[in-house]
Amino acid sequence: MVTKTEGTQLDDLENQVDNGGGGAWEYLCLVRKLKVRRSEKVLKHGLALLNDPKKRSSLGHDEWTLYEQVAVAAMDCQSLDVAKDCVKALRKQFPESKRVGKLEGLLLEAKGSWAEAEKVYSSFLEENPFDQVVHKRRIAVAKATGNMSTTIELLSKYLDTFMADHDAWRELAEIYISLQMYKQAAFCYEELLLSQPTNALYHLAYADVLYTIGGLEILQSARKYYSSTISLTGGKNRRALFGLCLCSSAIAQLSKGRNKEDKDGLELQSLAAEALQKDYKERAPEKLPLLTAALKSLKVSS
Amino acid sequence: MGNGDDQPRYEISQVAYIKLVLHALKHRTSAVNGVLLGRPSSSDGSLTEISDAVPLFHSNLGLLPNLEISLILIEEHYGGKGLSVVGYFHANERYDDSELSGVARNIGDHIYRDFPNAPILLLDNKKFEALEKGKDRSPVMQLYTRNASKNWKLSPDGGSRLILKEPSANVVLMDYISSEKWRDIVDFDDHLDDISKDWVNPDLFK
Repeated sequence: MVTKTEGTQLDDLENQVDNGGGGAWEYLCLVRKLKVRRSEKVLKHGLALLNDPKKRSSLGHDEWTLYEQVAVAAMDCQSLDVAKDCVKALRKQFPESKRVGKLEGLLLEAKGSWAEAEKVYSSFLEENPFDQVVHKRRIAVAKATGNMSTTIELLSKYLDTFMADHDAWRELAEIYISLQMYKQAAFCYEELLLSQPTNALYHLAYADVLYTIGGLEILQSARKYYSSTISLTGGKNRRALFGLCLCSSAIAQLSKGRNKEDKDGLELQSLAAEALQKDYKERAPEKLPLLTAALKSLKVSS
Repeated sequence: MGNGDDQPRYEISQVAYIKLVLHALKHRTSAVNGVLLGRPSSSDGSLTEISDAVPLFHSNLGLLPNLEISLILIEEHYGGKGLSVVGYFHANERYDDSELSGVARNIGDHIYRDFPNAPILLLDNKKFEALEKGKDRSPVMQLYTRNASKNWKLSPDGGSRLILKEPSANVVLMDYISSEKWRDIVDFDDHLDDISKDWVNPDLFK
């Protein structure tokens, strides 16, 4: 996950390089550091660097890191010839390397040779059953071939061993959501919340899943997590503010006649509504009337 | 003719069509969805005119809160123009996945409740890919409609129940693709992250 500052920094650098202002190597390093997926740009600018013999030799040892980065970007853009050339160059330089072997597996995936890729990865895992990257590639193969039950099985087993891999928990949660298995998705977010209790995005994701499951008690729980998201983000997270309004509305509908709940809910809802209106007034004033009408429709009259 | 005269038919405007496909292109590694705006034709009882579309999300399509908020705001905006939500668009994450997922069906059901002729349009990846080579004038989408037993059924090709209003829409689409117009499209996810981004996309085709 990338912060807003980091994102802006990356975009600015990208614009600079795109417009001939130089800084290609800095850009590529930043992409690697932030682990973002900008394959078209990486391919374009990385390849330009590689094809310029002076610039390439000035990189020294980093030349090989660049080959690797361009290879992966090329595969993502389906420029398989470029990818093949890069991997070949790497194999020539590092004949015994397992890291290059993994790239060769990745190339098989890019070609759609799933069975062969699977073989490569299985043999890697026989030698080293704790290679997380290869485990995840196997899971990726299952997902890419649409085999969702195998994907879930492999990913769950992976998480039994590598339970600190947050990205994997998030991936599993998202897969469950796409299959409408919301209770299982909730479990994944619970794990994430246990290990990172102050990460606002996990509070938000959990609240969203709970709201989707529905039911009075679960909605009340969702409301708690929207509230915690709001307090963790200083009231700036719009999705949580909207979520709170929706929750309060749904709870009010389900608990008509229980006055105590309504009072708490109403107060929270009007605070959230106020915050949203202020936000829209400042940044999207032409949409303010729409928002006001929407918020009005969410207020359930008791 | 064998078409069945009271079979619902749909005519989709270039604006709506291109917005939806560009949205799918912008987020080609995820599933995306959108809603169709329009109204029943005043002259032809079995025809629905789809005049606009709003791209919705490119992540976690199966979650309710953002969907509910987006529908409230969209209905509010377009209601003032005499248009309502008349259908749903979905594009799957994987190239060779041509199934209509549970999420798509459920959202379709929800829209169907308020507009009982609502179709689901599913991006047809293979047809889309072939567009570069051929001169196909039909939309690169599969049409699903609900039958009497409340199941979403694929309308067979050649039934021409889904047509492009402007016959050159695909030509225009290919043009926009080569100029990378898809970078400019804004969806509801983008709006929720930055409310100054407008999901109406008013300046997209200017």
